Formats: sequence, C-alpha cells, structure tokens
Amino acid sequence: MIGHLRTWPIVLALTIVSAPLVLMYVFLFVDTISNAPAGSFIPNEFTLEHWSFLWETRPGRPSIWRVTLNSFLFATSTAALVLVISSMAGYVLSRLNVPGRTYFLAGVMVLHAFPAITLIVAIFLVLQVVGLYNTLIGVILVKAAIDMPLGIWLMKGFYDTVPWEIEMAGIQDGASRFTVWRKLVLPQVKPGIFALGLFAFLLGWGEFILPQVLAPSGNAQVLSVYLAGLIADDNNFDMNMFKSVGLFYMMPVLILFFVFQNRLMNIYGGGSKG
Amino acid sequence: MTKRLLTTTAAIALVSLAGAAAAEEVTIRVWAGGSGPNDNYRVDAIEIAADLLEREAAIRGEDLTINVEKKTDNTWDDFKQAVTLAAEAGNAPHILVTGHEDIAPWAQSGLIVPVEDYLNLDAWPINDIYDNLLEIASFGGVLYGLPQDAESRPFFFWKEHMKAIGYSDEDLEALPDRVESGEYTLDNVLEDAKKMVDQGVVEAGYGFYPRPENGPDYWQFYTSFGGVMEEDGRLVLDKAAMQRFYQFFVDAVEAGVTRKNHIGTPNDQWYSEVASGKAGIWHGGTWHYARYTNQEGLKDFFGNIAFSLIPAGEGGKPNTLTHPLVYVLTDQENDDEEAIAAELIKIASEPRINTLHAVKSAHLGITHQQSNIDLYAGDRWAREATERLLPFANAMPNNTDFGTYWNAMWGGLEASWTGQKTPEQAVSDLEAELTSSLGEAIVIR
Amino acid sequence: MNASRDIAESARTPIGVRAAQSRLHLGWLSSSKGLGILFLLPAVVLVVLFFLMPVALTGVFAFTNMTTATGITGGAYQVSPGTLRVLTDRYGMGELAERLGQPTYVVDEQGLAALEEKGIDKNIIDSLRDGLLGKTYASRRELERDIRGLPDRPNTRTVKSISEEFSRSLANARFSSRESLIAAAEAIDPDLTDEEKEALAASTYTGWTWTTENFRRLASSPTTRQVLFNTLFFVAMTLVIFNTGYAMVLAIATHYIPDRPAGIFRIIWFLPRISPVVIYVLLWKWLAWDTGFLSAFLSNFGVRPRNWMLDTAANAWFFVIVINGFVGASMGMVIFASAIKAIPESLFHAASVDGAYRWQQIRHIILPQLKWPILFVTCYQTLSLLTSIDQTLLATNGGPGGATEVWSLWIYHTALNNYAGNLQYGMGAAMALVLVVIGIVLSLIYLRLFNYNALVAKPRIEL
Repeated sequence: MIGHLRTWPIVLALTIVSAPLVLMYVFLFVDTISNAPAGSFIPNEFTLEHWSFLWETRPGRPSIWRVTLNSFLFATSTAALVLVISSMAGYVLSRLNVPGRTYFLAGVMVLHAFPAITLIVAIFLVLQVVGLYNTLIGVILVKAAIDMPLGIWLMKGFYDTVPWEIEMAGIQDGASRFTVWRKLVLPQVKPGIFALGLFAFLLGWGEFILPQVLAPSGNAQVLSVYLAGLIADDNNFDMNMFKSVGLFYMMPVLILFFVFQNRLMNIYGGGSKG
Repeated sequence: MTKRLLTTTAAIALVSLAGAAAAEEVTIRVWAGGSGPNDNYRVDAIEIAADLLEREAAIRGEDLTINVEKKTDNTWDDFKQAVTLAAEAGNAPHILVTGHEDIAPWAQSGLIVPVEDYLNLDAWPINDIYDNLLEIASFGGVLYGLPQDAESRPFFFWKEHMKAIGYSDEDLEALPDRVESGEYTLDNVLEDAKKMVDQGVVEAGYGFYPRPENGPDYWQFYTSFGGVMEEDGRLVLDKAAMQRFYQFFVDAVEAGVTRKNHIGTPNDQWYSEVASGKAGIWHGGTWHYARYTNQEGLKDFFGNIAFSLIPAGEGGKPNTLTHPLVYVLTDQENDDEEAIAAELIKIASEPRINTLHAVKSAHLGITHQQSNIDLYAGDRWAREATERLLPFANAMPNNTDFGTYWNAMWGGLEASWTGQKTPEQAVSDLEAELTSSLGEAIVIR
Repeated sequence: MNASRDIAESARTPIGVRAAQSRLHLGWLSSSKGLGILFLLPAVVLVVLFFLMPVALTGVFAFTNMTTATGITGGAYQVSPGTLRVLTDRYGMGELAERLGQPTYVVDEQGLAALEEKGIDKNIIDSLRDGLLGKTYASRRELERDIRGLPDRPNTRTVKSISEEFSRSLANARFSSRESLIAAAEAIDPDLTDEEKEALAASTYTGWTWTTENFRRLASSPTTRQVLFNTLFFVAMTLVIFNTGYAMVLAIATHYIPDRPAGIFRIIWFLPRISPVVIYVLLWKWLAWDTGFLSAFLSNFGVRPRNWMLDTAANAWFFVIVINGFVGASMGMVIFASAIKAIPESLFHAASVDGAYRWQQIRHIILPQLKWPILFVTCYQTLSLLTSIDQTLLATNGGPGGATEVWSLWIYHTALNNYAGNLQYGMGAAMALVLVVIGIVLSLIYLRLFNYNALVAKPRIEL
C-alpha cells in the first residue's frame, strides 16, 4: 500500500499489544503436554499425564466422552434448527411479499439486538413447569430461539445477493415458488448456509451460561459446564489438567476456525452489501 | 394321583405367584451436597442400610430388592439449585443430605416431609441421638430430618509460630482453657497475629487467615461479639454486635495480619497453606483434620496444631457453631417408597455405620453410644473435639427467612473487609435491606 | 453490514409475469403469501415461545414474591409456628392461634370410627377403646407411645396411621386447598367468623402472592445504586476503550501493514471471540492469579506475588474490562476493516500525491468513512454489554466484595444461584424487567437510527 518501509513500527506495536494473548494461547498448548518445576514457567519435562482424563473418569463426575457427546449433540442440533428456520424465514423477508413483512423485519432487527439473556429467569421457570428443565432438548430449543434472529438476519443478507433473474426465470418456466426456492435459490446461497451452520455450531459449542442455568447436571451436562465445575471444585486444583480438558474442548473450534476462517470472519459482511 | 399332582402343582404355582406378587423392587435415589472425597459414607451408608433392610425383609418372608442410586456434589449452591428445581419438576431424589438450615424453607414449600410421619422416634437408633441434634433437625416441634453428622468449628493455632512469639509448651496446653474462660479474646488473637507478622514468623497477610469464602463459620464471630441470631422464632439483628464483628476484620486488615482481598482465595490454595504452616492463626471445622492429614499430607496433626473454641470478643462469649447435615425425605408420589427411604435413613444412623463416616471424614458422632465404639473412641481427634467443642456449640436457626439474612450479612462483611464501605455504613445498609426485605420477621436492636 | 444509507436500492417495477392468471389458482407453495406464511411459521413459533411469552412472564413474575420457599406452581396451606406468629402479630388473633395451633390429640369415638373406615384391625380398635378412650395428649409422640403399649403392638406404619386420626388441632398440618383448611378449622371450632377464616387462610398460605414489594425494594436499596453505577461504568469503559476505540486502532493499523502480518494479527484478535468462554477466562486466570504467570514473572523483579485480578476493586475492574473488551474489539475490528477496504484506493493515492502523511490520511479519509460503522457498533454493543454476564461471572463473580457486580450478574445471584440457597425468582424477574424495558427502548432507538425502510426493498416478483 503506502510506505511499506515504514510498516515495521506498526508491526512492532501490534506485536507488543498482542503479546499477552499470544502468550496465553501458546502456554495453553505447552502446559498440556509438559510439567514445569514449582514457581517457574519453563517446562522441564514432556508428559501426557494431564490427558489422563480421556481414559479415567473422576469419581462423582460423568465421563468426559458423555459430556462431549452432549456438547456435540447440542451444537449440531441448534445449528440444524437455526439453519432450517433461518433459511426459510430469511427467504421470506428477502423475497416474498407477505403482508406485514416490514413488521417482521423490524421485529427481527429488534430481536437481533435484544439480548435474550435478560429473559433467562422467565425461560428457566417455564422450562421447569413444562418439565424440560435439565434436559438437552430444552436447552437446544432455547439456544436455537436465541440464535435465530441473527440467523434470519444473515440469511436475508445472503438471499439479497441472489439475482432476481434466476427466480424470474424459474417462475416463467412454470415452477412453483417453493420449487424455485428449493432448486434454484438455495444452491445460490450455499456458501451462506455453510457459513451460518458453522457459525451456529461454534456458538453452540462454546455456550456456557444457558446450559449452566437450564441443564446443569447429570445426563444433560455439556463440556463447558463440566469444565467450569472442574475449575470450581476445590479438591483438585491442577491448572495443567484444566488446560488439557480445555484444549480438548477447544480443539474443534480451532480446527474449524483455521480451516474456514475467511468465511467466518466475513459473516458479518453477509457476503454482500446487504 | 393325577388329581393330587394337579392340586399340588396348582398350590405351588399359587404360592410362587403369591411370592412373586410379594416381590418388591424399588430404586431409592440419594443425593448429598457439600461432599468431597472423604464424605462418601454419606451416601454409602444408605447402601449398607439397604442391604440390612433387604435381609430383615427376607427373614420376615418378604422379597425386597432395593437399588440405591447415589450422587454427591462438591458444592452447595449448585446442589441446592439442582434440588429445588428437580423437586419442582417432580424428579427429586428420595433422600437428601443437606444442611439443617434448608429444613425451614423446604418444609414450607412442601419439598420435604417430616421423618416423624414415618418413623417411631422411640426406636433404636433414634432414641440414642443427641437431643440437641434432634432439636436442630426439627421445625415447629416436628422432626423433619435425621442428623447425619455433627461437627463444630474450632480456632486453630500453628504451634511452632506461637512458640516463636513466646508461648511455651505449657502456655499452649493452657490456651484452650483460657479461651473457654474468656481470658484469651479476639483482641489477643489480633495481637498475637501481629507479633507473628512483625517478627517475620509469617508473611504479611498470613497472621490471621480466616476461611476465604462464605460459610456458617462467620456467624461465630457475630456470636463472639454478643450477637444473637434468633429469639422466639424471630430473627434478630444486633447492630452493635454486627458492627463490632465487621470492625474486627477491618482491624485485622489494618494490622496487616489479614489481606484485604483475602476473600476469593482459591480453597485448595488455602487448605494447602494452613496445613503446611504458612499461616499463624486460622479457623475451620472439625473435618479439617481429615483434609490436612489425608489430602494435604500433614503428618503430625497434634504436634503442629492447637485448637480451641472461637474466642470471645467485646460484649460476647467464646462459642462454636455446629452445622449438622441432616438426612431428609422428599415428598414422593409413592408412599411405599417414602416409607422405605425413611427406614433406610434410620438404619444408616446406626452408631456403627455413622462412625464410618464420622471417622473417615473427621466429623463428630450423632449418638451417645458412638463413644463406646472402638473406631470412634480410639480416634483422638473425635474424642478431644467432642469434649472441648460440642458442649458450647450453638446452631443457625431453622427459619425460612434465615437465608436472606445470611446473604445480606455476608454482603456487608465483604464490603467492610474489602474497604468498599465502613462497618458503620455496612451495618446501616444491612438494616435498611433487612427491614425492607424481611419486615416483621426480623427484630432489629 | 454497512450502513443502510449507503445502499441505494431503487424500486423497480415488479414484473408480473402471467400475474393475472397466476393469481387466480395459486397453490400454497406457489403464492408468496402462502409460502411466506408457511416459511415464517417455525420462526414465529419460536419467537412467541421464547421471546414474547418470557417477556410477558417476566412482567408478570416481577409483581410476585416467588422464591424457592413459595414454590412456582401454587402453594398449600401450612400451619407452622411461623404462621401462627403471623396470625398473632399481623392479625391480632393470638387467641385463635392458640386454640387452633396447640397440638392436641384426643382418643374419641369420632377417631375410632374413622379408623374403622380405614380398615384398621378390629382388635386394635377394640383395645384402643378399652385402654385409651377419652385420653388427651399434648403431642403425637406421647399418644404413639401408648398405642405401642397396647397388647397387639401394631407396626410403625399402622401406629402412624392411627395417630393421625386423633389429631384435634391444626398444628403442623398441611392442607392442599383453602376449603380443606377451613373445614378442618371448623371441625375444631365451629364458630369461626369470616374475618378469622380470612386471616387463617392468608397467614398459612405458602405459595406466592401478588405484590409490588420488589420494586419498592429495588428503589430503596443502596445496592441498587451501586450495581447501577457498576453497570454503567462497565458499559461506558469497555465500549469506548475497546469495542470502538481499540477496534479502530486494530482495523487501521492492520490496514497499513502487508496482508500476511495483517491476516495473522486479525486471527489472533479474533481468538477471544471464538474461544469457548470457559477456556478464555481460564487463560486469564492463569495469567493473573496468585500462582499465575504475572506473579511468577514479576517476582523476578521483586514484586510481591498477588492475585492481580482480585487484589483491589481497581484491579478487578481492569481485568473485567480487558477480558470483555478483547472479545468485543474483534467484532468492531472486522466491521471497520471491511469498511476501510471499501474505500477506493484512488483516494489514498490522491492523498499521498498531495503529500498527506499517514495520520492526515486517517483523519480525513478513513475516519469519516467509519462514522456509520462506529455508530452501528456502538448501538449494537451497548446492548450486548449491558447484559453481558458470562465473562464477568467466570472471572470475578462480582468480586471482590461486590465491586464488579453488574446488573445481569446481580439477577443471576438473586434468582438463580447463591450460597444460602433461597432463590428469589420474583425479585429477579423485577430486576430483569428493568433490563427488558431498557433493551426494548434501545432496540427501538437503534431501529430508528438505521432507517430500516431502506433495507426493506419491495420484492420484484408480485405473485
């Protein structure tokens, strides 16, 4: 761009401010496979003992695999639900002339901005009365509902970029609007669907406060709550073990992020001006 | 012949049918809160009881199979939340082990039923349980739970550091009695702690090293300064006593013997520090004995640590608090299951079975006869702690509004301790908050 | 998501291809209306269930005194020492309380008849009649002792079953309905006045009642002011310093360096946002706690190891703002970066030809372009920050001493999770209602500012 020679001060400055973050994440990796002598942070031996949680279950806690499975189910189910609902609703708001459309859109914008966490007390009481408290299904529904406005908003953005001509051509050829949607429009927004699905999966994987309040224990426990409980338990303070569990937890996120980073970081752009 | 064979076969079939009909299989769920690795007998005792009950039933000719599902939770807040919500959803476990202070609100909300509805209180072992413990497990004159363990909360002194500031062995021997007579007070505690810090025996902030989180313990200091928690069924806020209580911790911070941000220190760090002599004077519970000697690797408890009642402060008396846990029965649809659960907790309170928990977890016994069981009597800690502490123990009241009072008290203490408010301000805010939230349920003087 | 004003969506005439005939016989799946409604249905269902209904319920529960003690789904009528005291103190009916509330057990014919109906063994009933008829007991235990003293000693369950029929007071009784309470009371004392019945029912009801107490308490409690201040302080500092300020710095800085390093930095700064919150905060604890990296590192320079996060209120605030800020900055960074990218290069070249230094470029070219993105980020993130809870809960949990307790955390501690276990749902709902109202107001303002009309282009297929 401009003045390549003088970019190094900026790079240096950025490196310095980024240092704490880099430090934290580097040590996250390092500490899980090494031991350091007390008081120092330089590792002096390589070990896999911190990963013992993979094959040993601590007494009184569910197995790590059970909890991971729950997290996986939770994340994929919410992502699937969000995708299905958003791809339908987003299409309507972008393309269909339904009465009250502007109100729906305004509604979505309000909901998108409105932080659903404020409703947690009422939601929690409702789930209890309905009997879905402490079940995965309950949390999945709630999380899907909370992510839905964002999903609709993003899908609308993606749909907005699809040229009208495609649909018009389809209609001219005699197809119903449903078929037009399914066969012509959806393939056009595949990148959007993929990005949204990915994003929703990551949001679900990392979700903490909802499962903590609505499904804290037993068979419905997810990895985030499990890890938080492990850290809070005062009988076993072992930072390296926490990090191992943490890294195990974070692995899918890292992999997905690094492979698909462009799509994820551009999601707010909606892939378009919309 | 055939006829007889037929009738015999029919008779056998009938009997086995009847036998099969009488065969009962139940699953009893038991959850315990605030339980660590030393406390497994809280729930294991129910299994042992189930085995005994099955055998008794077999002798009576009944076929009873009891499956016990056990769960322990290391925390209190998460446990209580899980319990109340499971109950609302109709999924509460049959038996709970929880603090006695939950009896009042849970009785009111119908979560638990009185054990008195299912048990003969004159029968063994209930008739051997200490009366004051039964009192603590009652609400409105009705026995709601069976005491599961007793404990009390002593003050601890690290002998080596006390000697370093001038105490001799005889002085240390006499110390518990001096505390009991009111001669050695909380002011003396601050003095000694300050000496330790000034002389470099311990680091700054480690002279007086209280427990780093909310707990029943802190009510002891309120009592030490003359405060009373409940009178005639009404909660009591003694403003002057509360203010002296808050002021004590502010003074400790000012003297440099306690850190301003002490609250929130991770528990494991705290345990390892007090068990290794990093701190001079601290307080805790009788179960600390098990924690220090088992998990923290302290070899010679009595050689290193002296213990006593909580010393008196201005206007009060030396005291200790006992926070017994209780077995309670939740309200279930199936009355038979409730009856079986009641029998199980009764059997689990057997002195011999209870002693397993008491000695492993270093809590105190619940029945008189336990002092005659070798495992218990042979345990020096159980004996000494019972003698020195239990006679002076009082407990938190069973009152539905106590939780609100407790949370508010802790808020005020934290604010004063960390310097957010002065003790005077904190107490006046406490008064405002309690008047507004409890109204006539609390007496303020 | 660029500011809508930059989009010029001109309305184009809809092409009504075969519009006339099509409109006559359109099936569900063909008409935009039909399909639209079908497609919107699931979304609407979720919105109603998890947004509208909870908002309404929050409003409703805010006016109750629901707690764990009262339970959620109604209550029963329980006569306990506490309720008797309320009857005495609040309603002045001490005498009534004594009459009804003193435990009394009488072995009388009425009870024996009830036992017969229950199907208790005739022999037992006879021996009861012979041995104990007419006796009065002040406690259930004493009665049961005598029952057990009978020749055919019944088992415990039968004893319990028998003793309950002889209760002649309301002491410790629990009734599931008002009618049964009053009936039982009248069985003991037939001359109850209506006033007395009312008082009895009101003082023994265990469920929740309607009340405006919550708001009065909120208004008068000193904690409210403190928490409100904490929340506003938190939002203002994090928003200004990180979500907008630092995000701008990052976006602009990465604009001026080659793509490769820029990409790397952007990834690094996106990590906080995509890391699961539990780990992210764990890493900060690793950095800042007594036994953590900072303490160990600085001890080499003679600095006393301490808990950098919780040492003082200022420390705690620093970390809470930084932890939340790093996450918030990433969103701004991405939005601002794409806005800067959209600036035509020609502008930059023109500027450099004019000899403009980088700083002037920033001031005069970049910043004006960022006006709308900044406004967008500010509006959006104000709401997110107002209600953020995850990071603060995990990091300081409102400590030390409530110094970093923000409004959403206060709700959590009041209604969902605290040490002494009495959860105040009603009070929590009232606090949440405040946030809900603020949320709605701010969302509407946000809508206004961004003139959503421009975004809603008329569809071009009119079917």
